[in-house]
Amino acid sequence: MNTVLIAIAATALASTALAGAVSAAPAASDPWAGVPAAERPAAGTPDLSGVWAMPSPIRALKTSDGKDPPLLPAARAEYRKRLAALKANPKSDPVSNCWMQGVPRLVYAPYPVLIAQEKDRVNLVYETNHTFRIVDLRRPLPKKGPDLDPQWLGYSVGHFEGKTLVVDSVGFNDKTWLDYSGLPHGEKLEVQERYTLEGPGRIAGVVTITDPDTFSRPWTTAFTLVKKPGYELKENVCVRDHRM
Amino acid sequence: MRRTLVLAAAAASVATMMAAPRPRAQELGAQNPGRPELGAGADRQIARRKAWEPTAPPSDPRDFTGIWEVPTPKIDLKQDDGSDPPFTPDEAKSTQRMIDAEKAGAVITDASTQCYPHGVPRLTMAPYPIRFVHQPGEILMLHEVAHNVRIIYMDKKAPPKDTPMSFLGYSVGRWDGDTLVVETTHLNDQTRLDMHTSHGPRAKITERFSKQKTAQGFTDLVDVITVDDPDHFTRPFSVTRKFAFRGDLEASLWTAGVTEYSCEENNRNVPDANGVVTAK
Repeated sequence: MNTVLIAIAATALASTALAGAVSAAPAASDPWAGVPAAERPAAGTPDLSGVWAMPSPIRALKTSDGKDPPLLPAARAEYRKRLAALKANPKSDPVSNCWMQGVPRLVYAPYPVLIAQEKDRVNLVYETNHTFRIVDLRRPLPKKGPDLDPQWLGYSVGHFEGKTLVVDSVGFNDKTWLDYSGLPHGEKLEVQERYTLEGPGRIAGVVTITDPDTFSRPWTTAFTLVKKPGYELKENVCVRDHRM
Repeated sequence: MRRTLVLAAAAASVATMMAAPRPRAQELGAQNPGRPELGAGADRQIARRKAWEPTAPPSDPRDFTGIWEVPTPKIDLKQDDGSDPPFTPDEAKSTQRMIDAEKAGAVITDASTQCYPHGVPRLTMAPYPIRFVHQPGEILMLHEVAHNVRIIYMDKKAPPKDTPMSFLGYSVGRWDGDTLVVETTHLNDQTRLDMHTSHGPRAKITERFSKQKTAQGFTDLVDVITVDDPDHFTRPFSVTRKFAFRGDLEASLWTAGVTEYSCEENNRNVPDANGVVTAK
């Protein structure tokens, strides 16, 4: 009898300790209870799952200290050209073709994102034009080189550093803009996104942009995501020659 | 990476759905002079399954995590015994009209060929990888084809009030033993059930997904799809699709085995001002 009680007490203690330290651990009212045990995020990783949105959308990226991005002269000329073109015709934005927005612009889209976290992957499912990225947590960045066929959303891998999800991406095409104002980039673009859980409902984000053909140095910019409990992603469809 | 939905015409309509560089079921199943290791007939099928499933999927019968793909594409609504669905007279005529038009060389277009979501169950039947993701309160189906996303809500008994009609509808799921039962309603009438057959807004699609071992020891994800639409069919009917596990994609490709597919980048199946679709 005593043994049983002790066992129960020990289990309860262990559960409490786990629940405190690991948000993804199963417990009686655990939202993860219906998820196969083998697929739940690893113990100790922050639980980023759910729908998130930016409290205030960002149109033109600034560096973390509020300055203009360090564009090289040729890129600055291209940026000015785009600013003028956009003023003359808002449809000069490539997303007017319903093309994928690219990274990190997708992160700044004024639509929610569903973060679906698994043991081996973090899936970023964006409401805007039902676009998703699958971030593998098990492997290093792909080797750069001609074999890496450029993609709109590049190739992403991730890992956790404490409470922070770190996503590294390379292999982008050069057809996307970095932001809604037309900030350019080339195919050498490398993006690192850092999602730090600051509390149950808030992610502090930092993006580092490296592109030696466009910027004089790597630079960072910040963003915030807040949780939207109970929100369900809507079907959002962008078709250029809209006929339905 | 560009994936283009090319002209979906005549007898090539199914083949043209697969304009992807990755070896596909029908390519591997066809003559393979460059792939002698694939052998012939049944041996070839087994060799392909072996190549697709280097490691087994999760042993938990309720764990569908991973990538699944139909090994034998079949985008039609023939019932498992080969018979036609129980069309209403109007739908029988409409379907036959589409088949005849296609045989005569017309370009058959639908929502998916214009980069809209495919609809259900057309999406489920599309011969592209699907990644299943289990999450609290929901199961995601991330489709390679045209980056379609389906969310199966497991924490609801019915769609919320005022759920809008949409291309992929609203899907509510539950477990019946080790079978995932998904009911989809609120489908708009802009999609077809396959390339030829229409449905109306009252359509209810029930999918029953379960993992089953094949005779050779591979794992199928079997989907028994029941279509209930009294406006187009005289009674509910079922078709079955079997998905193979694609552990090989997991191991070999970036983006976790689901390759980027941009329908929007260079879609050539766009109707002109008169609504006539031509190749561009």
